[in-house]
Amino acid sequence: MPSHNNQPLPDGYQLQGYRIERLLSSGGFSLVYLGADEQGGQVAIKEYLPASLALRQEGDVVPAVPEENLAVFRYGMKCFFEEGRSLARLSHPNVIRVLNFFRANQTVYLVMRYEQGRTLQEDIARNRGALRENYIRRVMTLMLNGLREVHTNKLLHLDLKPANIYVREDDTPVLIDFGAARQMLTESEYSLSPMYTPGYAPPEQYRQRELMGPWSDLYSVGAAMYACLSGQAPPPADQRVQQDRYVPAVEQFSDRYTVQLLETIDWCLQIDHLRRPQSALALQKVLLRERDPAVAGRRTFVAGLRSSLGLLAGRSREL
Amino acid sequence: MRFLIHQESRQGSRKSNQDRIAYSYSRESLIMAVADGMGGHLHGEIAAHIAVKFLIEAFQSQARPRLEDPLRFLLDSITNAHLAILGYAEGRNMPETPRTTFVACVIQGGVAFWAHVGDSRLYLIRDGQVHAVTKDHSRVQQLVDIGRVREEAVANHPDRNKVYNCLGQSHLPRIETSRRTPLRRGDTILLCTDGLWGPLSTRTIVEAVLKDEVLKAMPAMMNTAEARAGSDGDNLSAIGLAWLGEEALDPEVPRSISTKTMQMSDVATQTAGFGKDGAADFLSDDEIERAIREIRGAISDAGTSGKL
Repeated sequence: MPSHNNQPLPDGYQLQGYRIERLLSSGGFSLVYLGADEQGGQVAIKEYLPASLALRQEGDVVPAVPEENLAVFRYGMKCFFEEGRSLARLSHPNVIRVLNFFRANQTVYLVMRYEQGRTLQEDIARNRGALRENYIRRVMTLMLNGLREVHTNKLLHLDLKPANIYVREDDTPVLIDFGAARQMLTESEYSLSPMYTPGYAPPEQYRQRELMGPWSDLYSVGAAMYACLSGQAPPPADQRVQQDRYVPAVEQFSDRYTVQLLETIDWCLQIDHLRRPQSALALQKVLLRERDPAVAGRRTFVAGLRSSLGLLAGRSREL
Repeated sequence: MRFLIHQESRQGSRKSNQDRIAYSYSRESLIMAVADGMGGHLHGEIAAHIAVKFLIEAFQSQARPRLEDPLRFLLDSITNAHLAILGYAEGRNMPETPRTTFVACVIQGGVAFWAHVGDSRLYLIRDGQVHAVTKDHSRVQQLVDIGRVREEAVANHPDRNKVYNCLGQSHLPRIETSRRTPLRRGDTILLCTDGLWGPLSTRTIVEAVLKDEVLKAMPAMMNTAEARAGSDGDNLSAIGLAWLGEEALDPEVPRSISTKTMQMSDVATQTAGFGKDGAADFLSDDEIERAIREIRGAISDAGTSGKL
C-alpha cells in the first residue's frame, strides 16, 4: 500500500457543532484536531482516517476509500468504536473524558476534553530520565487512580506507556489513548513494525493472552517508572522471556532513588505475572508507603540489594 | 516461467477437511498458499478459506503481471486476511473467531519469497537436501529451540498441536518472512500442512522428492503420510512445485496474464457458499449507526457536562 499524507480538515472548518482550530497531531490511524464547541470551549477531536486505506486530497473533505480497502477501512472503524465504547463508560479525573461521538464525512469522530500539558514521555526526554522520585511517585499514584477506574469497569488499557500518560499543568496525570484495539490497524499499515510498544508490553501480551489481567497493565506501569529513571524502556518482554538481560532497577539506580521505589519497579517487571502486584490498589499502597515517615526513615543506599520477592508479595497480600 | 506443479488436499480420517490450498499465476509471477483451519476452534475451515481466498484475490488484482514488492505484498495481504477473518466473525457475532495457520510463497523473476504464521511449512529442497524450511510457531518448536525436545520427537509430542501464532487470533499475528531466495533449476518447493509433515521424517520427504518428478512424487508422499497416520489421521494438504527456470515459456503454461485459481481437489470446492465476496459486509451503515447510538448513550450515562 502506498503511503501518503492525508490532508487535514482546513482550519476554521465547521464540523457539526464544532469549529476546527488546528491540527494537533496525526498518526497512521487518525488525526487529532483542536476544536471549539458552541460555547467556545476547547475540545480535542479525533478523526478516524487510516493513512494507508483512505486518501483525502487537498481541497476535499470526504476521504476517498478505494473499493478494495473498504472492508479493512470499515473494520478499523470498529476498532475506533471500541476505543469510544471503552472511554465512554469511564468518568474519572485521571482518565481522558469523552464528550461526544458522531459520524460525518463518511468517517467517525471522537470528541474529548482538551487538556493542556505534556506527556510523561516529553518529561522523560527533557530530563533524559532521572525524574525526581517524589514526582514519579505522585504522578504514578494519581495515574493509578485512573487505572483502578479502568480495571473496575472490567477493561484493560493494554498500551500504557509514558507517551500515553498526559500530565496537566498542575502535574496531575490523565490516561489517554485507549486504543489497544487501534493497534490492529496501525499494524496493518506498517506490517514490519513491532506488534506492541516494545519494552512496555508484558510477556503475556505477546503469547499467552489468556493470562492477561490487571497485572498486565501493572507491568507496563513498572516499565514506565523504569523509563522515568533510565530514560528508556526496559528490554522487550519477548526477548526477556528468551534471555533476560534486564538488570534490576535496584542494582542500577540506588545512588539516586530509594530502594523501596526500585524494588517496587522490579516487582512490577517480574516476567511471571503471578509475582507482580495483582491490583492497581496494591501497587498504589506501596508507592504511598515511602511517604510514611517511619518507612522514609529507613532510606538506604546499599547497592545490589536484591528484592525479596516473597516478602514483597506477602506485603501486598497483607495490604 | 517454467515449472511443474501439483496440489492436493485430503480429508484423512477426520469428519471434515479444514485445510484450504490454492495457487495462481500470471505471466511473470506465481503464488501458492496453504492454510490449515484450526480444529480446536470453531469453524477453522472458514478462517482457512478466507485466508486463502483473500491472498489469491489480492494476488490477482496486484500481479499485473508482476507484484511491485513480493515481501511487502505477503505482509500486507496476510495482515489484511487476518483482519478479514476477524471482521467476518464480528459481523456474524460468532462466539469465537475462527483461526488458521498460513503459509504462502511468491515466485517472481526467478526468486522465491515466502511468509508463514503457525505450523504449516514450506520446504525448499535443493541438491537432495533441505535448503530452507520454515520454523513452526508452536509450543513444541520452542521446546526444540531450547533443547528440551529433539527434532525427531516433534511429531509425537503431546504439545504438537499447540500453535501460538495464527490468523484469527485476538492480537495481530507475527508474520515471519523469508529472505529473497533465488531459485535454481531443479529446486523443489513444498508447502504443506502438519497432516503431511507430521507423519513423515525430513528424510522421507527429501527422498520422495528425489525419487520421482513432482507430479508423481506428491501423490506418493501423500499416500505414505496417510498410511502412517492411520485411523486418526489429520487432514493433509500440500502443493509441490518443481522449478525449471525462468527462460522460454512452457507451451503448457498460458502466455496470457492468466490469474485463474486452480483448485484441483474437490475438497477445496466444498467450501463455496459461506463467504460473501462483498467487502461491505463487515460493517453495515445500520451497524455503524447502532454503534454510535450506543457510545453516545454510554457518554450520557457516565454523566457529561452537557456538551452533547
